[in-house]
Amino acid sequence: MAIATASDDVFVEEERPTARVLGRRHDRLALALIAPSLLFLVVFTYWPIAQVVLQALTIETFGSKTVEHGFGNFARLFADASFGRAVTNNLIYAAGTIVPSIGLALALAVGLRESTRFNALLRTVVFFPVLLPLVAAASLFLFVFLPGIGLLDHHLGRLGFHQTNWLGDPDVALWSLIGLTVWKNAAYYMLFFIAGLQAIPDDLYEAARLEGASATQRFARVTLPLLGPTLAFVLVVALVNVVTQVDHVVVLTKGGPSDSTNLVLYYIYQQAHENYDTGKAAAATVASLTALVALSVLSLRTLERAVHYEA
Amino acid sequence: MHPLTKVASATAFALALGLGSAQAATEIEMFFPVPVEGKLAKEMQSLMERFNAAHPDIKAKAVYTGSYDETNLKTHAAIKAGRPPAAVIMSANFVLEYQIADEIQPLDPLIAADGKTSDAFMDQFWPALHGNARFAGKVWGVPFHNSTPLLYFNTDHFKEVGLDPKNPPKTWAEWSDAAKKLTKREGDKTTRWGLMLPSNYDYLGWVMTALDMSNGGQYYNSEYGGEVYYDQPSMRGALTFVDNLIHRDKVMPEGETDGKAVSTAFFAGQTSMVVLSTGSLSFIRENMKSGYGVAFVPSNIRNAVAIGGASLIMPKGLSDEQRKASWELIKWLTSPAVSGGWSRFTGYFAPNKAAYDLPEMKEFLAKNPDAQVAVDQLAYARSWFATYSTVAVRKALEDEVQAVLSGKKKPLEALKAAQAKAEEIMAPYVAATAMNLPK
Amino acid sequence: MATAALSSRFDGLRFAGVAILSLVALAWSTPLLWMAIASFRPQSFGGLDMASLAPNFRPTLANYVEALDSADFAGLYLNTAIVCLGILAVQLVTITLAGYAFARLEFRGRTLFFYAFLLQLMLVPPILIVPNLVTITRLGLYDHLVAVMAPYFASAFGVFLMRQTFRTIPRDFEEAAAVEGAAWWQVVIHVLAPLARPGLVAFSIVSVVAHWNEFLWPLMVISSTENQTLTIGLASFTRGAESASQWGVIAAGTFLVAAPLLTAFALFQRQFVNSFLFSGVK
Repeated sequence: MAIATASDDVFVEEERPTARVLGRRHDRLALALIAPSLLFLVVFTYWPIAQVVLQALTIETFGSKTVEHGFGNFARLFADASFGRAVTNNLIYAAGTIVPSIGLALALAVGLRESTRFNALLRTVVFFPVLLPLVAAASLFLFVFLPGIGLLDHHLGRLGFHQTNWLGDPDVALWSLIGLTVWKNAAYYMLFFIAGLQAIPDDLYEAARLEGASATQRFARVTLPLLGPTLAFVLVVALVNVVTQVDHVVVLTKGGPSDSTNLVLYYIYQQAHENYDTGKAAAATVASLTALVALSVLSLRTLERAVHYEA
Repeated sequence: MHPLTKVASATAFALALGLGSAQAATEIEMFFPVPVEGKLAKEMQSLMERFNAAHPDIKAKAVYTGSYDETNLKTHAAIKAGRPPAAVIMSANFVLEYQIADEIQPLDPLIAADGKTSDAFMDQFWPALHGNARFAGKVWGVPFHNSTPLLYFNTDHFKEVGLDPKNPPKTWAEWSDAAKKLTKREGDKTTRWGLMLPSNYDYLGWVMTALDMSNGGQYYNSEYGGEVYYDQPSMRGALTFVDNLIHRDKVMPEGETDGKAVSTAFFAGQTSMVVLSTGSLSFIRENMKSGYGVAFVPSNIRNAVAIGGASLIMPKGLSDEQRKASWELIKWLTSPAVSGGWSRFTGYFAPNKAAYDLPEMKEFLAKNPDAQVAVDQLAYARSWFATYSTVAVRKALEDEVQAVLSGKKKPLEALKAAQAKAEEIMAPYVAATAMNLPK
Repeated sequence: MATAALSSRFDGLRFAGVAILSLVALAWSTPLLWMAIASFRPQSFGGLDMASLAPNFRPTLANYVEALDSADFAGLYLNTAIVCLGILAVQLVTITLAGYAFARLEFRGRTLFFYAFLLQLMLVPPILIVPNLVTITRLGLYDHLVAVMAPYFASAFGVFLMRQTFRTIPRDFEEAAAVEGAAWWQVVIHVLAPLARPGLVAFSIVSVVAHWNEFLWPLMVISSTENQTLTIGLASFTRGAESASQWGVIAAGTFLVAAPLLTAFALFQRQFVNSFLFSGVK
C-alpha cells in the first residue's frame, strides 16, 4: 500500500495486471451506465440551460415586438452596480464560509471518528442545523438574531455585551449570515469526511504509530492524503454551494439592508421573478455558471494532481 | 373528508341527479397565499367546501401558494406553462403589473353580463380600494382582504410615564414627544424604545408611504405606473422625521428592523409604540399580556395611509365555462357575509362595505372597539404603491431609506439617489408609453 | 521512544480535543435546546426572557396541538416520505452506475461527460422553475408527486460523490473478482457497492434531508392539498409577513417536521460510522 504520488493526468490509470478487464476502453458499457442519468439531465438540466443561454442572448425591449440577439444583456449586467455588489458580497461570503466550515467539519469528523456514545450524541446535535427545514429556519434564525431579546443578544447581554442589530446593520448583517452558514454547513461537510475516513484502514494508523508519528504527523501523513478524493469533493461542493445553496440566507434578509447581504443567487431571483428581466437573469446565470465550472475544473485538477491515491 | 362535506357533496350529487344534469362540474383552481399566521389555509379549504356545496355545477379547488411573492411567482410560472389558475388572490399592488403584461382579463364584460354597471359594482367596496382594482378605464381586480398600517401602543407604558392612553398622539409633534417620554435608558444602554417601525423590504415601502401621505404627499402617480416622486418635500420631511427619531432623539433603534422583530419587541415590552398592519390585530388582541391601544397613524399635514392586502384577479387563457365559474367564485368570496366572516377570522378588514351592516359584524365591532379604529381609518386611506416593476422601483427607495436608518446617508442625498435609480428602472416603460409620441 | 511520554501527550491532545468538541456541542445545541423549550412554552409573550434556556414555566403541549391541528400531518408525512424514498431509490441506481463508469471505466469523452454532469450542480434553482414547470406540464405530470421527484432522478452530486468514493477503494478487490471471472455488474454489486457503503449512506442522508425540507419546487408543481409535502404544510401556518410571530408554534411545527429525520439520523449514524468495521479493515 502506498501513498500516491503526482500523476500526470487525472484520468490516466496505471497499467495493471488486469488491465485487459478494467483498463481498456469501454465506450458502449460506459455510455449505457451513464445513460439513465443523462436522460434526466437532458430533460431537466440541459434543456433549461439551452433556454437560459438563448435568453441571455436575446434582447427584448418593453412594448416592442421585435427581438434582437447579441451580448446586450451582458453589457447591462456588468454595468449594474447591484450585480457588482452581489458578486463582491458573494466573494466575502465565500471567503468567510468555505475555510471555516471545511476546517471545522474536518476537525469534527476526526474528533468524532470513534463511535462512542458521547460522539454519537454529539454527531446528532451538530447535525441538527442541517435537518432544519428552511421555511421554519428563517423565522427561527430571525429570533436568534433579534436585537436585545433574541437568543444571541439575550445571552451575550448577560455577559455584558451591548445590543447588536445583527441583521439590520449593513456592516454586520453579512457576517451574521456567514456565522449562520458555518453553523449550518459544518456538519454537512462533516458527513462526507466521516464517510471518507471509514475507507482508511486502521492498520495504516497502527503502522504510523509504531513508527513514532505524533497525532499531528499521523493526520498530515495518513489522514489528509488518503482523504484526497473526499477533500476534492467537499471543496468543489462548498465552492458551488456558496453560489447555489444560500436560500436560508436570502429568506432571512432578502438581500437587505441596502443590498448589503444580496448574493448572486438572490440577484438572479430578483431579476427573474421580481423585475421580470429574464434577459439579465439569464445573463447572470450564464456568467455564474461559467465562473463555477471554471473554478471547479481548476480546483479538481489541481487537487487530484496533488494527491492522488492509488492502492 | 369532513362529515359535513360528505353530507354537502352527497346533497350536491343528489341535486345533480335530480335535475338530470349529466354535465360534469366545471373544475377551477384558485391560488391563495397565507399572509398571516394561523389556520388560514384550513379555513380557506372549508370556505371552498361551502362554495362547492352551494354550487353543484362548479368544483373549485383552493391551492395554497405560499407568501404573496411566491403566489406571484407561481401564477406567472403557471401562466407560462399554459395552466393558468381560474382566480388568484394577488397582492393588490401587483395587479397593475399583470395588466401591463396583458396577463389578466378585464372583468367589465362579466359585470355587464350580470346586468350591472362597473360603477355600481365597484361601489360595493370602500373607495380607498378602487385605485388598485380599477384603472386604465377597466376593472382588473376585486378586493378580497385589506389592511392599513395602524399605530399600536402599550397603555401600561403610557400610564407609567403620565401619558393618557385614551388620548394617543395625533400629530407628529405629539408622537415624537410621547416617544421621548417613553424611551428608557440605563447609562448609554436603551432598555426601552419609544417607537419602532418595521423596515424590511416591502414593509418599509408601505410605512414610508403612510408617513409621506401623512405629510401631505403621495410619492407615486396612482394613475400612471411610470412616475414616482421620491425626492419631493413631503418625502424629505417624512424621512428627516424618521432620521431625527433615530439619530437626534434616539428614541428608535438604528438600522433595519424586521416586521416580526417589531411585533416581538412590542409583545416583550421592549418598545412602547409600533406601526404595524391591521393584519396583526387579531394576533395582538389574543396574545398581548399588557394593555394595548390602537390609533390612526399620526399626521403632520393630514390623516392618510395606503391600503395593503389582496384582490382577486382572473388570468387570461380560460375557457368560457371556467371564466363563468371563476366569476361565481369571486363574487361569492367577496360577498358581504363571506367577506365579513373572513375578516373576523383573519383580522383584515372586509372590503365589502355591506359586511359591516350585518348583525354579526356589528356585534364583533362592539366587542372589539380596536377593530373599529381600523375601519374608521379607512375613510382616510388611499390606493397602494404600484408602478411598472413595482418591487424593483419600491426597492430603489427602500435601499436608500435603509441607508438613512443605518446612518450611512442623509435624507436628501438618499432620496435623490432613490429617484434616479427608480427612473432608470422605469425608463423602458416610460419610453414605450408617456414618451411614445406621434412621429 | 518512551511509550509513556507518547501516551501522555496523546492524552493531552485527547483532552484538548474533547474540550473543543464540548464547546462546539454547546454552541450547536443551544439553538436546539431553545427550540425545544420554546415549543413547550405557553403561548404568551409576557417577558423579555423568551430567549431564556431555563424552563421557568409549566410545560404545555398547546403549541403541538395547534400545529397538528393546522395541517393534515399524516398525509404530509406520507407524501414527503414517498417523494424522498422515490427520489432516493432511483438516485441510488443512477449514481452507482454513473459513478462506477466515471471512476473505473476508460471511455471516449469521459472528462467532457463528467464536467457536463457537474453542470447540474452549478445551476441556480430560480432559473429552473419556469422551464421545468413547462416541461412537467407538457409531460402531464402537474400536481403529481412524480413531478416533485423527476428533476432529481439524476444527481450530479451523487455521481460525483460515488466517483470519489469508488476511487478511494483499492483496485485489488475488483481485480481478484475479475480474475475469478466476475462480470462488471457482479463486481459493482458484490464488491464495490458494499465497500462504498459509507459514501452511499452519506449520500442517502443528504438526499433525504434535502428533499424532505424542499419548499419552492413542490410549491410550484403541486396544487392539491392531498399532494402537499411537509414544508408546504408547515409554511401554511407559520409564515405570516403581516402578522406577529408565534415562536412557540413555529418551534413545535419545526420539530414535527424535523423529528423523523432527527430520529432516523440518531439511529442511522451509528450504523453509518460502524460500517467501517466491515469494510475498511482488510
